[in-house]
Amino acid sequence: MTGTLETLAQEKQDKKVDVFGASLSRRGFVAAGGALLASFALMRSSSAQEETPAMRGIPTSKVSSDSFIEIHADNTILIRTGKSDFGQGTVFTAYRQIVADELYVPFEAITTVISGDTDRTPDGGGTFDLLNHGMPNIRKAGAYVYQAMLDVASKQLNVPKDQLSVKDGVVSGGGKSISYGDLVKGQQLNLTIPVQGDIHTMFGLVVAGNPPLKPVSQYTVVGKSFPNSAVVSKVSAKETWVTDVRLPGMLHGRVIHPKTLGSKLISAGALDKSRFPNAQVVVKGNLVGVVAPTEWEAIKASQQVASGSKWSDWEGLPVDTRLFNFLKEDADWKSVPAATSKESKGDVASVLASSPKKLKATYERPYLKHAPIGPTMAVGEVRSDGSVHVHAHTQNAQALRTQIALMLGFSPDKVTVHTYAGAGHYGRSNGGNAGAEDEAVILSQAVGKPVRVQWMRNDDLQWSTQSSCAFSEVELAVGPNGKLAGYQIDHYMPAMQDDRPVGAILAGLPTMAAPNEKGSLFGMANQPSDPWLYGATPAVLERAHGGPQVGQASSPINIGLRDHSLRTPVQYQQNFPRELAITEAAYLAGVDPLQFRINHATEKRTIAVLESARESSGWQTRSGFANGSGPIKHGQGVSLMMRGGAYWACVAQVTVDTNTSIVKVDKVTMVVDPGIVINPLQLKRQVEGGTVMGVSMTLHEELRFNESQITSSDWMSYPIATMAELPEIKVVLHHHPEVGSYSQGSEAANALAAPAIAAAFFDATGKVARRLPLKPAYVKDLLKA
Amino acid sequence: MPTVLVNGLKREIEAPSDTPLLYVLRNDLELTGPQFGCGLAQCGSCSVLLNGKEVRSCITPLSAAVGNEVTTLEGLPARWAKQKKLIGPEAAHVIHPVQEAWIDEQTPLCGFCQNGMMIKATELLESNPSPTIDQIKEAFTKSGPSPHLCRCGTYTAIIESVQRAAGIMARSKL
Repeated sequence: MTGTLETLAQEKQDKKVDVFGASLSRRGFVAAGGALLASFALMRSSSAQEETPAMRGIPTSKVSSDSFIEIHADNTILIRTGKSDFGQGTVFTAYRQIVADELYVPFEAITTVISGDTDRTPDGGGTFDLLNHGMPNIRKAGAYVYQAMLDVASKQLNVPKDQLSVKDGVVSGGGKSISYGDLVKGQQLNLTIPVQGDIHTMFGLVVAGNPPLKPVSQYTVVGKSFPNSAVVSKVSAKETWVTDVRLPGMLHGRVIHPKTLGSKLISAGALDKSRFPNAQVVVKGNLVGVVAPTEWEAIKASQQVASGSKWSDWEGLPVDTRLFNFLKEDADWKSVPAATSKESKGDVASVLASSPKKLKATYERPYLKHAPIGPTMAVGEVRSDGSVHVHAHTQNAQALRTQIALMLGFSPDKVTVHTYAGAGHYGRSNGGNAGAEDEAVILSQAVGKPVRVQWMRNDDLQWSTQSSCAFSEVELAVGPNGKLAGYQIDHYMPAMQDDRPVGAILAGLPTMAAPNEKGSLFGMANQPSDPWLYGATPAVLERAHGGPQVGQASSPINIGLRDHSLRTPVQYQQNFPRELAITEAAYLAGVDPLQFRINHATEKRTIAVLESARESSGWQTRSGFANGSGPIKHGQGVSLMMRGGAYWACVAQVTVDTNTSIVKVDKVTMVVDPGIVINPLQLKRQVEGGTVMGVSMTLHEELRFNESQITSSDWMSYPIATMAELPEIKVVLHHHPEVGSYSQGSEAANALAAPAIAAAFFDATGKVARRLPLKPAYVKDLLKA
Repeated sequence: MPTVLVNGLKREIEAPSDTPLLYVLRNDLELTGPQFGCGLAQCGSCSVLLNGKEVRSCITPLSAAVGNEVTTLEGLPARWAKQKKLIGPEAAHVIHPVQEAWIDEQTPLCGFCQNGMMIKATELLESNPSPTIDQIKEAFTKSGPSPHLCRCGTYTAIIESVQRAAGIMARSKL
């Protein structure tokens, strides 16, 4: 079609075609190739933005101009997303499948996925909730592009749009057909998609409007186990990991973090130039760094400098063994009002006052580490032209960009973040930084060369954020009908999200606000975050209380124990006490704990996952404890959760050796109903992985700290589960196309494991473990009681 | 100059002899399969084969590797080709059965630890061509200085992959 008089005339007029609110135009003709590019325009009336980065004192930049989707003349397709891959594989599997279906092309037609980088992806946003309750940006973008291709084809074939159909990227109608590639050949078509929101926030830009979506019944690509392209490159050592980035002139850096979480630098140790002739020390505020041309010299020189550095002392933390005494007796929960869940109803207080069968108990969860297998690292490059490049593994490149810009006092336009594969860190960088990025930039600026800062294992455990500790107080009553008469829970958890880059804090450079400071992203408040699934309960009261981070206010350097989201954040902290308490209530009522849940559930999908768990796990329906004789006790437990629109049930079977006080998880059955299952094998692998992490958190994990600092510094002092403890894991996927959409399908597994395992321990021993983890010393105390 | 036989090639290395092998491989030889995980031999991300035995390159000084044979993740295909006496294009395009199984089973999640997992699997299968699940667990948790750790929790997939790799190797003997 290229070069006809008619199309040339159209081009001159720059005629725009409206495509369900998107705008299609032809930018020109090209001698070779040709493409359709689906880029975006920000809608002016961005009503939902209550808080923008500008309001928080973060300078804003112009947004990236790259497209969501490109269709090329050779019939290949490229997609872009601001989200990165952290091992979910979603951007390489589910996103391609979703777009392939919307465009009516095979999975293999989408040959390229570009993700994460600030200057090469369109929408930003943190890498979490990747499927966005069935409506990720890329799905709507695909739907717009499909409609635009039909418009182009209609014109080209001279067949009305409603008479066209597409199969495998070939448009047919009226006895004619043409491929997508031929439709774009020789020209550049631009489709401008409406978006709203703010690229710098946690959530990024959101594709607006309502293009017609492909009917779920016509999906041919979604639902199949396509492989993850990143797996091949990682397994065959061809992936460029962030750890592999090497720039010309780059120096290796190590950072000497303070002696405590509240120490100020008195003096940095003198570098022994006779031993480390090429090394250099950088001091900025309380940040001490050492750089050298080789990594080994940087490591050894930093150890030598560290040994001579002097810091002030600080003792502002409760010791780990006293954490919950501190939280219950001394912490401030009054500064922010409690949030009450919308499911709260009835007069719980009077129900509790009048019921004879009651439970009143407190549940405790320790701080947890994200504990990536690779400690965080980054390469920073402050160039002489004033531009800054950060090479990192981040879940939110645009947010990291604004943090670096704010720290340096630069415009974000000057900062480019390049993302690479790296060690998963499960939420730690969803607000931007994971730990070393800012330090790499500070050191680079100081020495005028690119600097690679690699945190050592102890840096990563001792200087990163951690998942918030929490305790919950439950009061419930069981009625004569064997059902809950009233249920009340009060969750207490320090403010969760501290996204301040730690190097910037130490260096005394500007950062975003801490949770207890004015203008902070989320503040100190917490919300009820665990959807209530027992609708048949007549009286319910759920409250969430927030407070300051432990030790931060008293730390002379404003650090202390910094909190952050980790897989299933807040909901994990709230679901464990609820689910264990529901199990206790079932025993109190003399009803099988799984049936007890069914008796209170009001949603069909909730009941279905519970029944499925019962059938697939070997669950023994009975009221009362397992009551096994002998020193080796066996038990079963169940838990339930709804997360991101997906319904989950879990059954755990455990063995408790009462001689050694060791709890062994024998089998975990995970049932998940996300609606449509996009990729069964990838989802199964995610669920298996989450289950192992959940077992690990339940049996082992607990941040250790003294009055000054975190003392978990390696894998001995912060143990995680090994393969030796791997239970049999059974994953049951409920594929329900009739739901019409897909939901989040992975991270909840780690949260479901804890209450199911604790319930199984209760069943086995008759003792309730209301605190995690179930380490032998604690188990021994429980068994004695 | 000290030399190390790395993935079948003699490599001369300038680094100080106390430099951990990991940094030599990654920074001097640009073999980036092994990853820095802890520097303490506590996780296994940095594993390589030293004369066929899995070692933690993060605590193995260069001096211990001098004059010996090192195989990294990059060298697994050539190692398999040599064992199978493959030559020419067949050798050039072969993939190690362990890697093939890891791809078939879609084993990695973030994948950072999988270098060590594949190295350990290779070591195991070279001495025990059809390990039981218990033997696999033993190899990955008891046979080295520490268990091989995976934070993403891929242990189930790893066991399935080792068994699949064993099957591929067995079939290759026919």
